[in-house]
Amino acid sequence: MLQKLNTLFIGKVLLEFPKLPSTNAYAIDLLSKSRPIEGTVISTANQTDGRGQIGSKWNSLPGENLTCSVILYPGFLLVRQQFMLNIITSLAALEVIQHYLPNCNCHVKWPNDLYVDNQKTGGILIQNSLQGQHIQSTVIGLGINILQKSFPEDIPNATSMILQAPDESFSVENVLTLFCEKLEKRYLQLKGGKQSHLKDSYLNHLLGLEEDRQFQKPDGNRFPGRITGITEDGRLIIISEGKKLYFNLKEVIFL
Amino acid sequence: MTFKEIQELIKQLSKSNLSEFKLKDGEFELSVRTKHYNKQNAKSQIITPQAVMPAAPVAPPPAAAPASAPAEKAASAPAPEAAEEGAGNYLEVKSPMVGTFYRSSSPDKPPYVKVGDTIEKGGPVCIIEAMKLFNEIESEVSGKIVKVMVEDAQPVEYDQVLFLVDPS
Repeated sequence: MLQKLNTLFIGKVLLEFPKLPSTNAYAIDLLSKSRPIEGTVISTANQTDGRGQIGSKWNSLPGENLTCSVILYPGFLLVRQQFMLNIITSLAALEVIQHYLPNCNCHVKWPNDLYVDNQKTGGILIQNSLQGQHIQSTVIGLGINILQKSFPEDIPNATSMILQAPDESFSVENVLTLFCEKLEKRYLQLKGGKQSHLKDSYLNHLLGLEEDRQFQKPDGNRFPGRITGITEDGRLIIISEGKKLYFNLKEVIFL
Repeated sequence: MTFKEIQELIKQLSKSNLSEFKLKDGEFELSVRTKHYNKQNAKSQIITPQAVMPAAPVAPPPAAAPASAPAEKAASAPAPEAAEEGAGNYLEVKSPMVGTFYRSSSPDKPPYVKVGDTIEKGGPVCIIEAMKLFNEIESEVSGKIVKVMVEDAQPVEYDQVLFLVDPS
């Protein structure tokens, strides 16, 4: 139970586990056997097999970080609009981080890495189930580093809320409570048709927006450019030497 | 196109003998299937001609299939060539979106389905990923997998055929 939770449905049912391989995997398994109430949250103090993209792992030490998944049924959303789920989750998570770290610069690095002062502090993994053009269910997975102070050497760019504000005291439960509230607010805005408002807010928090930067293609070729926005399906728009270019994930690297 | 124009178009189409109508103008896409489309489908399945005739001819024509769900009915359309060869009517599982096709939920897991497997409607058959959003695709048909049409980790287009399924 989240004691101070002030929502209509997200987090009202909370399934907490001392240890789980992956909260997303648990949620998907639950969905395959039943229809959990919308807004059901699964969280664990110790996620042992968390996932980022296919093949990459997210490391977390027991009890130090938020690792949770939320089950939603966005049947009102078209399949081609599903990037909106990424937008509302990124915004909700950023608002939570910003609330606790008011003096830091919080950004989302396209498409959904959470950055504090140019270091990664969290990530999002969204898994939908589709039948034809219908989104049957979505599992929104979120990881935020809260109390973890040391990270493996192979992820040098990682940080946590406590590393950014060492004198503060953070509680994982409070961070989860606030995330449920922020996500519900954004989800209801989406349901209410506020797509363009949500997209604008996402762009306002996008790392590197309207900045001249260097980018790299998978073949190693570098090029200068400026991120100007995203398409409806979430592709990144970069203007480079007067030309408008569109990128899928893995087609472009930020330098 | 305005809502009114679309309404008028559907009205005209349901009066015509057309079975299917597609319109594309830039980002705007419209696809309409009429009652004749269902008849065509029904003919190629094993249903007596009488059953195809509407039971009550005076009834108003049924509303055209909604434009937003072109994949639903398409999945039940049998592959015409296969039908002619008498090799059975194969159903198609199509991609509902643009993305990358994965046969399993992660590289260390076995594929959801392989040739010869029997699948149920609603059973997961693959993952399609786009912009770090992972979509588990559930089959809209039941039957036996005859062919996997796409290699693992390859890009797929909207409406591209992913699997051939033998419903018998």
